[in-house]
Amino acid sequence: MTTFLLRRTAQALFTVWVVATLVFGLLHVAGDPAQILAPPDMNQIQVQELREALGLDEPIWVQYGLFLGNLLQGDLGISYYNGRPALELVLERLPATFELVLSALGIALVAGVPLGILAALSAGSRLDRALRFVSVIGISAPTFWIGIMLILVFSVEWGVLPSSGRGGPVNLVLPAVTLSLFSLAFFLRIVRSSFLEVLNQDFVRTARAKGLPRGVVNVKHALRNALIPFVTIAGLQFGQLLTSSVVTETIFAWPGMNRLVLQAMYRLDYPIILAFAVVVAVTFATINLIVDVIYGFVDPRVRHA
Amino acid sequence: MIRRLAGLLAVVALAVGAAQAQDELVIAFQGGAATLDPMMRNETTTISWQRHIFDNVTAFDREGNVVPGIATSWENVDPTTWHFEIRQGVTFHDGTPMTAEDVAFSIDRAATHPMSEMRGGLSTFEAATALDADTVEVTTTAPDPLMPANLDYVRVIPQALIEEVGEEAFAENPVGTGPYVFQDWLAEDYLQLEANPDYWGGAPAYDDVRLTAIPNGATRVAALLSGEVDMAVTVLPQDVPRVEAASDAYVSQVPGLRVIYLALDDVREDTPGMSEPNPFLDTRVRQAVFHAIDMDTIADRIMSGASTPASQFLAPFNEGYVEDLERPAYDPDRARELLAEAGYEDGFTVRLDAPNDRYLNDALIAQAVGGQLGEVGIDVEVNAVPRAVFFPEHFNNGNSTMAISGWASNNTGATLNGIFHCWDEDAGLGRFNPFWYCNEEVDAMIAEAITIFDADERAAAFGEIIEKSQTEDVAYVPLHYQNQVVAVAEGLDFEARGDGYVFATDVTPAD
Repeated sequence: MTTFLLRRTAQALFTVWVVATLVFGLLHVAGDPAQILAPPDMNQIQVQELREALGLDEPIWVQYGLFLGNLLQGDLGISYYNGRPALELVLERLPATFELVLSALGIALVAGVPLGILAALSAGSRLDRALRFVSVIGISAPTFWIGIMLILVFSVEWGVLPSSGRGGPVNLVLPAVTLSLFSLAFFLRIVRSSFLEVLNQDFVRTARAKGLPRGVVNVKHALRNALIPFVTIAGLQFGQLLTSSVVTETIFAWPGMNRLVLQAMYRLDYPIILAFAVVVAVTFATINLIVDVIYGFVDPRVRHA
Repeated sequence: MIRRLAGLLAVVALAVGAAQAQDELVIAFQGGAATLDPMMRNETTTISWQRHIFDNVTAFDREGNVVPGIATSWENVDPTTWHFEIRQGVTFHDGTPMTAEDVAFSIDRAATHPMSEMRGGLSTFEAATALDADTVEVTTTAPDPLMPANLDYVRVIPQALIEEVGEEAFAENPVGTGPYVFQDWLAEDYLQLEANPDYWGGAPAYDDVRLTAIPNGATRVAALLSGEVDMAVTVLPQDVPRVEAASDAYVSQVPGLRVIYLALDDVREDTPGMSEPNPFLDTRVRQAVFHAIDMDTIADRIMSGASTPASQFLAPFNEGYVEDLERPAYDPDRARELLAEAGYEDGFTVRLDAPNDRYLNDALIAQAVGGQLGEVGIDVEVNAVPRAVFFPEHFNNGNSTMAISGWASNNTGATLNGIFHCWDEDAGLGRFNPFWYCNEEVDAMIAEAITIFDADERAAAFGEIIEKSQTEDVAYVPLHYQNQVVAVAEGLDFEARGDGYVFATDVTPAD
């Protein structure tokens, strides 16, 4: 078990290193942050001084060495634009993004799974068709449009929910619902189709044939099997939401890390972009590690694979 | 069901609303301050937020005049020496008295800190010294008549405190002399402030002020219309009619500092995106472009009235703005005549490069300009691309013959040196001159004008340069000034400033 853990941890660290190196490399072909940072009234000499102050005048391999050395000590540099440690800026906004993503995922699970089951059980009926139609809207309507519509109805017309900012739970409602819609519709469709698939399998038919009550067959036999692939998909969806909430964060002025990183990209603020990449990579690696460990306990074959 | 849910939510919302203080003023901006260290970023919103906490040494008023801040008066002792009289009896928010040393330290830090973006406006700075309790002497490396104006870049900070706690800690817990005291903040998200009752300029009208960032334009206006914020700064053209139609809010707008202009390559024979020799070398063709563009229609149809056709490259409150210089009239017939005189009766084809995510409605403006030029026979192929492509690939690279860009500066000297001067890398001149416009006569006039100490004479000299380059050379075709548009809740008095700064101290309850 210890070797297994050690090997997986080493793999996780390797992944983080690869991600950090790739992002570092991509950034340094993207342009010159000093030129972007410098206001129009600075002359070339002053821009060069700025470049030196940022350490951007060094050859790229020296910068890379410094970056790796600092990374090992948990130091991801000072944001060019905000003048504060980049990791601090990202971590400061991480809870807001987590709060939003977990709420959205919660809504999607609580609503999407039962609706998917309902649709599968009533397959072909008018209810099923209605649910499928609504789910197509949920998947294809742009987040941007949905967000603005919700604001117009709930904040401007009815005045019942705040349009923007982060504060109490009321502030969370509109952004979480907006962010959840795609996942909700997606879950609905996945659960419906995988449940239907299982319902048509031989062992379900056998169970029914030997006279088990319909409810027992549906829940104990069919649903359990149908939800196995879904667990993996829900996990992937979490990762997907974690980095794709940028539109929602922007519309609702939600102070999450994706909004910060979007701004940083416009400004070529390398330290923030790198800190974000490292934080996301570490988060993913940790989740994978935990999943692997759990699998290792559950299924001994994985441990030796 | 839905009605019951809405009812429940209304109760919750009321409870939340009731918890908010009645006298809190909430202003929503597009972005937020990058940092509260006032010597770092030279960016309008950052400075707007900081100036609630800190006082300027000098400041521009809304007409563009230099007015006292912490410095009450100034005089030019010799061409490279200035004396600034310091306001007495001012204290920092922590109770320590502000001294002339603090002022000298602040000027020095803004001009010499390696990360300071204020250095651009303070490039002639040599030294700042407190001569006595009420005088600070500033010396320059060359005669610089604009030094008092340039101290608009400097906000006064307490030397002892920042040296004690360090720069980073100071920026997280800033102490100034300004009208509001820092409470709490999140970078680029919000800044919570409390009135400074002992402010030397008088206690502010609102006890609590919250400056907040709502990046999306539609949400910003929605937050105003739903009563969550009292003012929405930077209303996008498409949202202006919504505010105007609302009964509980109004729009305050004024021509802003940013001019959107058309740059034409009038130097190179062979230019990119053109099959024939460059027609813009002929001044008459450039004049024809001017006459062919109808900015009133663009202001009306594309900008919803949130722009003002530009008479010249300078904004109305820039030093040197020429009152009686007029924009050449929209006259397509005259444009066709000029083209025919230049030998282009049958027109020609040209590519117009523009950003599509940098200025308000930039891509739409490019399309409209393209269509209008098409009317007089100039066949325009519009190439609107993201700024990340436009600036490095087209604008800064000479890979363009005709391009739309924008410019904003309240320092006319910097405008002239940056964009009207011939390109000179060593001297750092013409750094933003996109297509090498170069007139040595104009260069000489600029060099002379920026050393004139008499304000009226200097403004006149600046104006002469603007007029000459526009009427004789048609160096650029200015299109419009983007308006500064602020939406304000009924019950508050506020007037937008052209330079884009928004201060809670300019807001008063309407009587």
